[in-house]
Amino acid sequence: MKVKLGLRFCVIGGALSMSLLSCPAMAEDVLKFGVSSPMSGAAANWGIGCDWVGQKAVKYINDHGGVRVGGKTYKVQLTTYDNGYTAAGGAQSAQAMISRDGVRYIVQSLGTAPVQATQSLSERAGVILLTTAWGKSIKGPKFPLTFTNSNTPYEIFEPLFSVVRSQHPDIKSVALLNPNDSTGQQAEAQSKEVWAKLGVKVVSSSFYERGTTEFQSIATKLANSKADAVDLGGSAPGDAGSVFKELSVQGWNGVKLYPAGTGSDTLVKVGGKSVEGVYMGQAADFSGATATALQRDLDTQAKHVLHEPLNILQMGVWDGMMALKAGIEKADSIDPRVIAKALPTTTVETSYGPVGYGGKSTYGTPQQLLVPVIITQIQNGNTVEIRRVKSTDVNGS
Amino acid sequence: MFNINHSVVLWNVALFAAAIVWLGVSEPSYLTQLVVWSAINAVLAAGMRFVLLIGETNMASGAIYGFAAYVTAIAVTNGFDVVPLVVVTAAIAAGVLGLLFGWVTLRVKGPYFMLIGFAFTEVVRLAYTRIDYVGGNSGMVGIYAPMSLDRWMPALCVGICYLLVSGFFVAEKSSFGLLMRAIRNNDKVVETLGVSALRVKLVCFCMAALAVGAAGAIHAYSYHVISPGDFSFLIPVYALAYAKVGGERHIVGSVIGAIFLTVVAQVVQGAGALQYVLFGGVIILTMLGVRGGLLDMLGWVACRRRRAGAQRIGLPKDRTSGELG
Amino acid sequence: MVTAMALIVQLALNTLQAGSVYVLFALGLTLIFGVMGVVNFAHGQFFTLGALLTSVLVPALREAFGMGVALAFTFASAISIVAVLALAAVVYQFGFRHYLRDTVGSFILSVGLLLFLEGVFLWVFGGVPRVVPNIAPGELRVFGAAIELQRLVVFGIAVIITVLLYLMLAFTRFGRAIRATAEDAGAATLQGIRDKRTLLYGFMVGSFLSAASGCLTAPIAVITPAVGNDYLIKGFITIIIGGLGSVPGAIFGGLTIALIESVVGYYVDGTMATIGMFCVVALLLLIRPQGMLGHVQH
Repeated sequence: MKVKLGLRFCVIGGALSMSLLSCPAMAEDVLKFGVSSPMSGAAANWGIGCDWVGQKAVKYINDHGGVRVGGKTYKVQLTTYDNGYTAAGGAQSAQAMISRDGVRYIVQSLGTAPVQATQSLSERAGVILLTTAWGKSIKGPKFPLTFTNSNTPYEIFEPLFSVVRSQHPDIKSVALLNPNDSTGQQAEAQSKEVWAKLGVKVVSSSFYERGTTEFQSIATKLANSKADAVDLGGSAPGDAGSVFKELSVQGWNGVKLYPAGTGSDTLVKVGGKSVEGVYMGQAADFSGATATALQRDLDTQAKHVLHEPLNILQMGVWDGMMALKAGIEKADSIDPRVIAKALPTTTVETSYGPVGYGGKSTYGTPQQLLVPVIITQIQNGNTVEIRRVKSTDVNGS
Repeated sequence: MFNINHSVVLWNVALFAAAIVWLGVSEPSYLTQLVVWSAINAVLAAGMRFVLLIGETNMASGAIYGFAAYVTAIAVTNGFDVVPLVVVTAAIAAGVLGLLFGWVTLRVKGPYFMLIGFAFTEVVRLAYTRIDYVGGNSGMVGIYAPMSLDRWMPALCVGICYLLVSGFFVAEKSSFGLLMRAIRNNDKVVETLGVSALRVKLVCFCMAALAVGAAGAIHAYSYHVISPGDFSFLIPVYALAYAKVGGERHIVGSVIGAIFLTVVAQVVQGAGALQYVLFGGVIILTMLGVRGGLLDMLGWVACRRRRAGAQRIGLPKDRTSGELG
Repeated sequence: MVTAMALIVQLALNTLQAGSVYVLFALGLTLIFGVMGVVNFAHGQFFTLGALLTSVLVPALREAFGMGVALAFTFASAISIVAVLALAAVVYQFGFRHYLRDTVGSFILSVGLLLFLEGVFLWVFGGVPRVVPNIAPGELRVFGAAIELQRLVVFGIAVIITVLLYLMLAFTRFGRAIRATAEDAGAATLQGIRDKRTLLYGFMVGSFLSAASGCLTAPIAVITPAVGNDYLIKGFITIIIGGLGSVPGAIFGGLTIALIESVVGYYVDGTMATIGMFCVVALLLLIRPQGMLGHVQH
């Protein structure tokens, strides 16, 4: 009986894989969009949320007349692929996306290593790649088909740290903590640079492994450094909440920063009272008064389905799709290379409102979608926006 | 010394030549990539199986594989263009690493050897994340063969992998292979014959390391980007899965298992959370199915057919017993 | 000014509390290996299921019956443990029973199981981080160091379970049956011990320990479907240090890695602590492969 089961499985498996592997003929009037994101492990919820937002955007676009090019109307379709947060995973998902399934427009991609792997295929295959990855080396004239959907530490940290410093002029030292991955390493490097510029001394910088559950000793180290401020860089929201909680148990009470964290809801859930006053640079509250009606609406729906509010990376999927739609229609072409030339001068109707591309001074070419940098602070358990830095303030291009 | 089945050799050469020609002629596509990845995984699986022949589970292959990939990346990004030379250098570097590791650890056996290999792979991976020269967590990019060779890379890669797997097969069938099996059975007895069990184990381990190293170099050339996360303990774990799922009895099992699971992994791409459910489910079903893996499942099919055929022409059943070798 | 005393006490508290949960988890792992000769890589998934179910049930029970946190936690843990035991029974009957004493085979099977269950948990529970409210609000301050009261409660419960387990193995018939089967299954059968039944129960006790450590972790950590992976790696390191199959070894090993984590995590950082743990393991395996308190495998 066991053998029969195995054999039956073999046959079904073989047939299935053959049918799935054969390149599906691309339907004439459907544009295939893709998302590359970790969908497992600690970052699983990012991918799940990205996919949800993407499907919402697909429905919105299709319900409002699709994408119009050269007198023809196209529908859009989106699939999310797991890149496992590694280079090999990125390469494999890129192959599946681009070579197997014929995706020509990648609307969101997370993780520097997988994005680099995806990029090595997308640039050669003539596929547009929109990403949230932070690496400076990912953008530039060598990569004409790559664009970013949301702000990176290079846009966020300086305004954020300046605001914090102006509200707490007596900070003289800061202790850093970051996860040991590309997000954390880049956040750490940028943190060090900006704090130095502001004259604040970095007294310690630690890394922890993603997946750690015990933060007591890490918190002990931070507390005993006697720093005036603690900067948790790109730590995961749950981890950041745990660290702040432990810090308050151990009696530390200074200025708290969480500059590159994306989830204020989880932060408050985990940290409770200990996260009062935390400053954040990438954790917009899409349910607040300063969010747009569209963002509030998406956020409310997301809470029902995902049990979590949306974060900036997930909202970036919406913005990415709108950017592509705008680019396609402006270029009046579905050829990614033509669209890529048109994007830098396109105004995109993002979820924040109309926004353009810039970033020439930082990256060499305007490949950064200049959504506003939103600086927030936790007040009474709520994420309150304290400053919104518009695109022209950031780098004036 | 050898028992050469000429028809098998001829079939092999013919298929090999056909594959190389097809790969050289076709445009690089999804299918050619899949073939290259399956070939790399086949070498990993065969390497794992080779060390299993001395009764040890080589969990350090993740570190060795990754080391060769990094050596390749460093060489290529520093301008060393000659592909065969780079591959050989990386393989030798991996072999040296394997030699050092094996020399220190092979006196330990069984689950202990397995776990120390595991620890080694993880330490090396964590070390990469903290070394800026190799890009830390972001890894290294731009690992391409020179443009002129670009078209032939899939053929070259698969060719090398095929030779490596054949090498394992030849080694296994030789008298050295007999020695390995004897040690797996009872190394004390072998020692009474004056053979140093440790030395045989070391040679076996180094041979596997060289092959895995070559595969690592090919990995770097095929993926073009590497990161520390690519070389975790999952590499040897999957290699073991390929070998077991395909069938341990014969080296062809490792190849079949590698191809099968590589294809399954790609098929489930885009399925989200279900990806792991499907991949894990496949492994479970195969392990719970026929004990000898896919190889024995196919053998069972062949046996059934023979039985049915025999029934039709009236042979007694016990002549065509359904027993698997 | 941080006094040396306060620092030592703080690190000691961190070590004891974290270590107690590692010990519980590793005890299950070592029991399963010692009794069945099975390397169960999916042990962490039982931990995860225990933690996930608890974190889902506590708010659900509180809302449905208006219970206090501590009471809801107790009931939620009980239900979670029962669910995990049911899963363990199924996994044993259909899986590990066919791979007894086959280290490699059982390992691969458990890897398949790990991937399968991780996918199922992600699918069913989603990736949302979950939190259980504080089951014992307040902190204990001693000699300048501080620890949450609920962590002390977790520590206490873990110690009690460990002691009960030890007593069971040493003094009950069932415990002796397990030890006998671990020592020599054939001889045990000759003595009238029902081998298969004992193995099943042994596996369930091991899985109970995994689930219990998961439930105990729920109030003090953030729970996602990936939470068991960290414990899995540390669990294996623990049992190597302590000796595969040794109960006192698991206790020693658990406290050792908690100590390394605390001290190195404090003086250097978390990543170096992990590297340090692996290096200690590697060294130990070379010098004393049977672990500090294990017996040499025949």
